[in-house]
Parts: sequence; C-alpha cells; structure tokens
Amino acid sequence: MTAERVRELFGAPHSDAGFFQAALHVEQVAALAYVAAADGPLSGGEREQALRFADHERRHAAAFETMLFALTVPVRERADGEDLDALLPGLRRAGRKEALRQLAELEGAAIEGHQLMGRRLAALDSLRTVAAVMAGGAQHLVVLRHALWRTPLTHAYETGH
Amino acid sequence: MVSLSRRRFLGVAAGVLLTGCGRDAAREQPPADAEVLAGLLRRELEGGAAVAGVAGAALIARQDRLHAERLAELSGAGTVATRSGVAADLPAALARKQEGVFAYVAALPRIADPDLRVLVMQVAASEAEHLAALRLAAGEEPVPDAFAGFTEAPAR
Repeated sequence: MTAERVRELFGAPHSDAGFFQAALHVEQVAALAYVAAADGPLSGGEREQALRFADHERRHAAAFETMLFALTVPVRERADGEDLDALLPGLRRAGRKEALRQLAELEGAAIEGHQLMGRRLAALDSLRTVAAVMAGGAQHLVVLRHALWRTPLTHAYETGH
Repeated sequence: MVSLSRRRFLGVAAGVLLTGCGRDAAREQPPADAEVLAGLLRRELEGGAAVAGVAGAALIARQDRLHAERLAELSGAGTVATRSGVAADLPAALARKQEGVFAYVAALPRIADPDLRVLVMQVAASEAEHLAALRLAAGEEPVPDAFAGFTEAPAR
C-alpha cells in the first residue's frame, strides 16, 4: 500500500519541479515516520537509530527544498500527521516488526521514485543530489533489512523492491 | 576522500542547477555513454579488488563482479579480468567503496541514455549498501552520513 501510494506520487509530475515536490513530500513523511516509530513501536538501540534516520530524512528534505528554491518554486506546505497516516496507515499502532517493514517499504519506494527521476528529469545536473539522497536511503534499507533478519542485505542492482 | 559540509553540499546542489553546466546545458563533445561507463568499470574493478578477502564480504564481492561484467558489456570492454585483492583491509575497502559511490553519482549527468542512468543509479545504491553492510559487519555505525558520505567522510 505504501509503495503504491509513493509510486502514484512520483508518477504524476510532468516537470522537474513536480518531481522535486513529490520527492520532498516523501522525505518529509519519512522523517515523521521515523519519529513515530521511535515514539511508539521501537525501543533501545532501534529507537536511537530511528531518530538518527529521522534527522537524515529532514536533511534529504532540505536538499530537495534547495533544488526547488533553485527552480524558484516556493515550498508552502509541509507534510503532517495526516500525510503520515495516508502514506503509512497504522504505523503508529504497529508492533516492532510491522513498523520496520513499513519503514523498509517506504525507503524502497522512495528509491524507486528517485530512479524514475533519473529517467525523467530534464536538468541532469540535479541528479547528483537525487542520487546522493537515494544512496542514503539505500543505506537505511540495509539497516532495516538487518533488523528484520532479511537476506540479502545488499542487492547487486538496488531497485527499491 | 571527498568531504563536503552540508551547507556546502546544498550550495553546490543549488549552484549546479542554477548554472546548468551539465549535458543539459550547451556543451561541446560530451563523452559518449560507453566512455563514461568504461571509467566506472575501472573504478568498480578497484573497489572489487579492495573488497576481495575482507571477512564476510563474499556476497559483496560477487555483486561487484556482476557490476563489472555489466559495465564491461555496456562499455564494449568485453570480458573483465578481476583484480585480485591484495589484503583483507577493511579501511581500504571502505575507502574504495566510498570513491565508487562518488564516481557513480558524479557520472550521472554525463549519461545520455535514460536506461543507463537508471542502471547507474541502481549500482550506486548497491555500492552505498555495500558500505553500510561492511560497517555493520565490523560493528561500526552503518550510516554515519545522511548522504552516503557526501557531507561527512566517516572517521577512519
């Protein structure tokens, strides 16, 4: 469900600005998701890791905001709890394993979206920023897979799914 | 190893977009995609050699081999002779892997074929994962930087 909704977000834009707005929204929701997981289902070291990853997601969002600023597109809206519930329904009430699974699904879907940007963005120089964010997300995915005891931790061609 | 502050990184991110100095801007004789991929192949082989022999890195070494074979095929290099690892040195492997991530990301604006750009992004993500997995196996913080090393080089 999460992946489908993220796919819809990245599938809709017809301009670079639209792609960056979609990517910004997903990163903002991801930051909220890690905080929600830290406040609820996760504890101990996993809670600390989730808070670190929430900070990473905020930095990713800031990078996409910078790209939008460069395109002279104002950022007026910020994702909130409703957006979190729409993209990751049930996360706040989830148990540990389900929360980790949902976070992994979100990270994977974001990677897939970033790779769609790799195909469709007109301003190719901006792909360096997109790819740096994507690479950070791929590293989050390794940690989430490890916590979920999923193997392999790494894929030769990481598509996000 | 390249190290950029976050502010500088974001400044660069905005700057390149504003000035538009890649393939999307007018530029004479951009490198052919095969040429770009050949450069990435050389980097991949260096990374693969550095990983070979590192404890617990057999899967990563196999994935590196797959990257190299695909890059060789697409760049027209034919078969690849994998370089043997000289030592099971984790810091060296991490350093070469980090350079690989930088190289794949830097190459993206120079690749004209959208399918190849996606492939390079998939390999870049894989290389970033290798870094996290190697650190995880070594008991280190697996993701010390939000941008896979672009804002903070890991302390080594």
